[in-house]
Formats: sequence, structure tokens, C-alpha cells
Amino acid sequence: MECENYKQQIDLMVMGSLNQSMLADLKKHLENCADCRMELEATKKTWIMIGELPVPVPSESLRTGFHEMLTKFKKEEGQATKKSTITQGKLIEPKFTRRWTQYAAAIILLMIGVGAGYLINHSTPPVSAYNKKIDSLASEMSSMKQMMMLSLLENPSASERIRAVGYTDQMITVNNKVVEALLTTLNQDPNTNVRLITLDALAKLSKSPVVREGLVQSITKQESPLVQSAIADLMVKLREKKSVKPLQKLLQKKDLNEMVKTKIEESIQKLI
Amino acid sequence: MLQVKEGDFDRMGLIFERHHRAVYGFIFHMIGNREESEDIVQNLFLRMLNYRNSFAGTGSFKTWMYHLARNLLSDYFKKNSKKPYMYSVENFDEKITEEYFGDIEKKQELQTLQMAMENLSIDNRELLMLCRYEELKYHEIADLLGITEGAVKVRVHRALSQLKSCYLKIAN
Repeated sequence: MECENYKQQIDLMVMGSLNQSMLADLKKHLENCADCRMELEATKKTWIMIGELPVPVPSESLRTGFHEMLTKFKKEEGQATKKSTITQGKLIEPKFTRRWTQYAAAIILLMIGVGAGYLINHSTPPVSAYNKKIDSLASEMSSMKQMMMLSLLENPSASERIRAVGYTDQMITVNNKVVEALLTTLNQDPNTNVRLITLDALAKLSKSPVVREGLVQSITKQESPLVQSAIADLMVKLREKKSVKPLQKLLQKKDLNEMVKTKIEESIQKLI
Repeated sequence: MLQVKEGDFDRMGLIFERHHRAVYGFIFHMIGNREESEDIVQNLFLRMLNYRNSFAGTGSFKTWMYHLARNLLSDYFKKNSKKPYMYSVENFDEKITEEYFGDIEKKQELQTLQMAMENLSIDNRELLMLCRYEELKYHEIADLLGITEGAVKVRVHRALSQLKSCYLKIAN
């Protein structure tokens, strides 16, 4: 067979769709043909590079727009179920989603600005009504952040999970669902950095007895020396006496890092 | 998606987080415009909700999602038939410099490959994207295009050959 035919087979080989008998024949030919070996390398390189072509990161407005759309859809779907007509629940796909949302956001901001200006100048009874509206807007934003956080925590990318944990700071109130998700992340996340960031986030919520209890229980579940050390520091800072027993238990671990061991011993001394 | 179909719409947030980057990449490579790609992605997730009953759960979710994405792209191409493919070179440069800092050769090769991709027909570009960029299996692409697995392999082979010859022309 001529090289031209083998070159076709090289493409199929790289694509992973050459049958076994042809593959054996091609391999034999490759041993003796430098040209075809070069062709194989070039094809492999092209094939790999297609998968490496860069794509810009989508803007944050895509995520915000999606969550706005989802909230609207759920509302419409609820109404449609009441009317027992499924078709009426379908949202119409916007042709210019971006522009529409931008206009809507601009109008809302303008209204909030005008409203706030009026309130500052006329401190009359409507103030409480406007305050209520602003409060309800803020609480809607907070619940949206909560939803985004819970779904982002399941993302396979560690940086996305770190971003999810960061949303905790932007929430007005943190409910049990969020605390539970944070504690699960602290105990089970495979990435040490995600665990450390989660520990920081939980430290800020340590006024809650549920969080404190969760942190104490988490001590013996930690394998990373960095997290073990950080959690011991936090227990001292919080003066959490309940942590003494779990810390002592941690000391009994055979593979415990020497530095961490000293740190935990010191922490126990401070706590007793 | 089956849970979404049963009315648990909050699961859609999870589906969005898992798939929006990949499907955005596919659409971006097909039309080359960042903002319009984002609009299509948003419409895609809305369409997934509206057409959730068409997901039987017997086939792969990815195939179903790309089926809807292709329909949206087809609408886009009908409305914008005269609009040229405009891959944003500025963004490309920015991204590529960031990722391959110091590796000038690799950067040039990727730029050449991108130019070669732009010279391919929409069908060929789509095939290579689905196969390599999205890493769909041949049988999944066959389901998506409604052709046999063998036919998919032949078409991918032709697209790859065309890409290589375009690449060589530009590189030389």
C-alpha cells in the first residue's frame, strides 16, 4: 500500500476509529516510514489542539440572567399549574435578553434612586413603606445568592466551590440549609483550599450553637495538617472547651504531623 | 433533568453550573460572538425548561441538550445568514497570552488553528467541535445528527483532513 493510503489511516487512528487488523498493518508501516511518522505526529497535534482552543469566560450577567429567568419561570409555572394549562406556563424566549435585562435593571435602579432621594428629602410616613420595599429587594437578592451558593458548591471545579463559599459573606441571614452545606464541605471536600476557606466562613458564623457543634465534630474528620492546625487555632480563639476531647483524640492519630501535634498540645493547654 | 421534569426546578441551577461553560464554548466557536453566545445559552436553558417533557431519559442528557442547542443555532443562522463569522481576535489574544505566557510557538499554532477552523464549513466545524471540544462519543453525535455511527466517522475524517490542509496553507 502507498503512503497516501496510510495517511488516511493515520487520521482514523488518531480519531480512535481504525480497526485492529488495519492498526497492526499501519504500525508495521510506521516503523519503516519516517514521512508517515511525521504525519502521525502532526495529526495528533492538530487533534489535541482542537480541544485546547481558548474560549472567553462567560460574563457574570449570564449567571444572573439565568437565575432571574428561573425565578420567573417558577412563578409562571406555579400560576399555570393553578390554571391546569401547561402551555400557558411556557415563558417566551427573549430575543434580546441582554438588552431587556439591562433596561429593566436601569429602570429599577432609577426608581430606587428617585425613591431614596425623595425619602431623604421628605421624611414623612411613606418612609417605612419604601424601607420595606428595599428590605424585601435585599432579602430577594440574599435568597438568590443562597441558591447560587448551594448549586455552585456541587461544582467539580475547586475555584467555583471557593467562590460559592464566598457568597456566605453577602447573605443577610444564613439559614440551616447553608450551614449544613458548609459543614458538609468542611468535612468532605477533597480540596484543602476549599476546606480552609469554608472554615473561615464558618468561623464568622460561630455565634450559632449549631455551627460551633459542627466545628467541634469536624475536628476528628480532618486529614490535612493545614486544616487540622487552622481548626485548632479557631477553637482557641472561640474558647471552645468542648473541643478538648476531640483534639485529644486527634493527637492519638498515628500519622499526625509533628508540627500539628505540637500545635494541638499547645491549644489543649490554652483551653484547659 | 428527570427531577426537573418532575417539577424540582431548583435542580436546573445545578444543571446550569455543570454544563453552561461547555455549551457556551461550543456556541462561541460556532458563531464567534461573545454576547450573542451568552444570549443563546440563556435561551437554551429556558428552552430546556419549556421542553423538559421531550427528555425521555432513555438517551444521554448531553445529546438532548446539544440537540436543543443546535436548533437554536439553526434559528440564529437563518436570521443572521449574511452576518460574517467574527471570532473576536482581541479576546483570543488576551486569553491565549494568559494561558500560554512564554510559549510563543504554542500561541502561534493555536492562532493558526483558529484561522483554519474559520475556513471550514459550519457543518465541519460543528463536527470537530462536538467530537473534540465537547468530547461527545461517535454514537452520541450519530444520535444527534440522525445518521449512522459509520457516517459520523467518515464525516469527522473529512473535516479533519480539510482542517489539516487549511492549517498547512495558512502556516506556510
